Amino acid sequence: MKNQDYLYLDHAASTPMRKSALDKYIEAESLGFANSSGGHKLSRNSKNLLEDSREIIAGLFNSAPGEIIFTSGGTEADNWTIKSLFDSKKTNNNLVTSNIEHEAVLASAEWVSSNGFQTKYAKSDENGFITKDEFIKHIDDETKVASLMWGNNETGVIQPIKDISKELKSTNSSTLFHSDVVQGIISDNVDFHKNGIESAAISAHKIGGPKGVGAMFINNKYKLPSFLHGGKQELERRAGTVDVPGIAAFATALQEQQTRFDEEVGLMNNEKLIFENKLKNSLNVQIIGESMNRLPHISNIQFKDINSEVLLIQLDLNGLGVSRGSACASGAQKPSHVLEAMNIDSKFINNHLRFSFGWTTQAGDGNKAAEIVMKSVKEII
Amino acid sequence: MRILVAMSGGVDSSVVAALLKEQGHEVIGVTMKLWEGPNGEMPESGCCTASDSEDARKVASKLDIPYYVLDYTESFSKNVVDNFTQMYAQGLTPNPCVECNRSVKFDHFINQAKKLNCDKVATGHYAKIIKNNGKYELHKADYLNKDQSYVLHMLKSSDLENITFPLGEISKPDVRQIAARNGLKTAFKKDSQDICFVGKKDYRSFVEKRIDLTSPGEIFDTDGNKVGDHNGIHEFTVGQRKGLPGGYGTPRYVTKINVQNKNVTIGEKKDLLVSSFIVEELSCVNDLEYKNLTIQTRYNSEDLHCEIRQLSDTKVLVQLKEPAFGVAPGQFGVIYNGTKVVCGGRISPKVLENIG
Repeated sequence: MKNQDYLYLDHAASTPMRKSALDKYIEAESLGFANSSGGHKLSRNSKNLLEDSREIIAGLFNSAPGEIIFTSGGTEADNWTIKSLFDSKKTNNNLVTSNIEHEAVLASAEWVSSNGFQTKYAKSDENGFITKDEFIKHIDDETKVASLMWGNNETGVIQPIKDISKELKSTNSSTLFHSDVVQGIISDNVDFHKNGIESAAISAHKIGGPKGVGAMFINNKYKLPSFLHGGKQELERRAGTVDVPGIAAFATALQEQQTRFDEEVGLMNNEKLIFENKLKNSLNVQIIGESMNRLPHISNIQFKDINSEVLLIQLDLNGLGVSRGSACASGAQKPSHVLEAMNIDSKFINNHLRFSFGWTTQAGDGNKAAEIVMKSVKEII
Repeated sequence: MRILVAMSGGVDSSVVAALLKEQGHEVIGVTMKLWEGPNGEMPESGCCTASDSEDARKVASKLDIPYYVLDYTESFSKNVVDNFTQMYAQGLTPNPCVECNRSVKFDHFINQAKKLNCDKVATGHYAKIIKNNGKYELHKADYLNKDQSYVLHMLKSSDLENITFPLGEISKPDVRQIAARNGLKTAFKKDSQDICFVGKKDYRSFVEKRIDLTSPGEIFDTDGNKVGDHNGIHEFTVGQRKGLPGGYGTPRYVTKINVQNKNVTIGEKKDLLVSSFIVEELSCVNDLEYKNLTIQTRYNSEDLHCEIRQLSDTKVLVQLKEPAFGVAPGQFGVIYNGTKVVCGGRISPKVLENIG
């Protein structure tokens, strides 16, 4: 099957590159291929491109250029903030996060814990929501870092970031508040300073930029220790030759995304609602977090009578690509820790699929997806 | 037909996928993920490993067929691995591959195939299915060196109806040639011999890590004289020669393991001769038969002429025409009429009548 006949609803996992970004990549690779840390003309071209990109991205998030540090993606940014502030001499420090975070945060938290620090997990309620009280009750005088995602990558449920950051600062003003906003920026307005976010992880490929490129936002008042050691690239904080063409493409993709934001996100939301309503009317399904404030691009569906392992295959064979929990190296898929954290009835835990809309979504996709799902369900029951 | 092919990443199942595709069928490839380490990683050696599923994926891509990895780890861990460790702890000789076919693979696989509207499932086993008077029979493969009907004996006529074994009439060298002709990277891959979840490690250390096996007991000779002590019956299997008290003129073998009092008996080779035993947990492909029977007591072992007497729905008494070596409780006994599998089940530890 050719790609154009295939309906792609896995944008929360990755998206194709926008044409503008791809063009920018090619242009930048020819103009700005040189090492941006060098002392000659071609290096200056690269350096200019890099700093222009930084300004563009910082501007789009109402932050200062010095607050944006480029990384290899969201995972690196999460690892950096969460791990690097724990000093082996201060073992009474602790970390607070939630039990529905992305694996990049959870695995970093486990690393912190394995180094002898206490790690505390705020528990999700049955709607996939971390209440302010639940999160704040874990914060104490020794909390070094607190980390809570903007919107969940499996359910789309948006967390009360602003409320929590405010209360957090009045509980312990020296706690750094980190947020994984990788999914958030796909379909929500994310302003770091206004929401009290002091550190954030962003990824380019979720909004039509290249894979392997991302950024960390870090409030000017903090200086994190280097995470990768070597040369003095990237504001002297991250060693390694900087991927200038990738970063330039990232800035272009983000610019286009922000320009078209209302139109694109409006479409995602519309198509998602059409899709969900159609399924609700014809199948025995539950829409996870339906009553909650959700990211417009994510729809997590529980099929009451169908194991989603088989349904995923049938959808693929019928031309619809979606996902189920997080994939492991071999491609087998496991029940999700997020659904487990929400106390989803164990008899339904293997019956979920995530449908995620994105910038390539077109009018009619929601309807088409629902038709394929209904057909596939009929075929396998 | 739409056919779901179980692809382990070896040459046999790769060729099955290639042959069925060549015949014009709609082929879907699946790797069953059976076992994983503590962090979800696949084992490093043996069949169904991470690199094997990678090979299967590459073959599927080369053949341009859809390919998926399905998770069978929960069922495998419960039905195969736990059973394996428990049987060793009891001094029995488990056969995890048969156990896997019997309680994990086929049921689940056929079920999923039906849901996906597949007409058949296919595997790379060497065995034949023959339709005779409306019933499906399981037969030995033409290429006897590789015949795997022994490990498939638990399949019933109603299962066989949903299965195809395209390698039943092909030899292994031919299979490799077909793979090479199709440019499949698995063409010259070595056959896996290891137990998939144990890998190249010693299975005893695998078992020891999982359960406490210290069950000290005594070692006796066939006349009932104590000749030594031991730390646990899991260190012994019937027929074992290594690690026993020495000082005899002729080699000594484990002839009997008593699970109740943990006593191990050792004797001479002739003491291992068995002429009758019980096969339990019996499963018949079609109706039970009584004439012209032979039995295999291990995978691909010699066919021993025998007679059987039914003791209950799931138990038969097997009487060998000639006493034989190598009948180990816990292994499966599979009864044939010519090339046709009649039935099979587990060799019971309870009644093992030795002669000699």
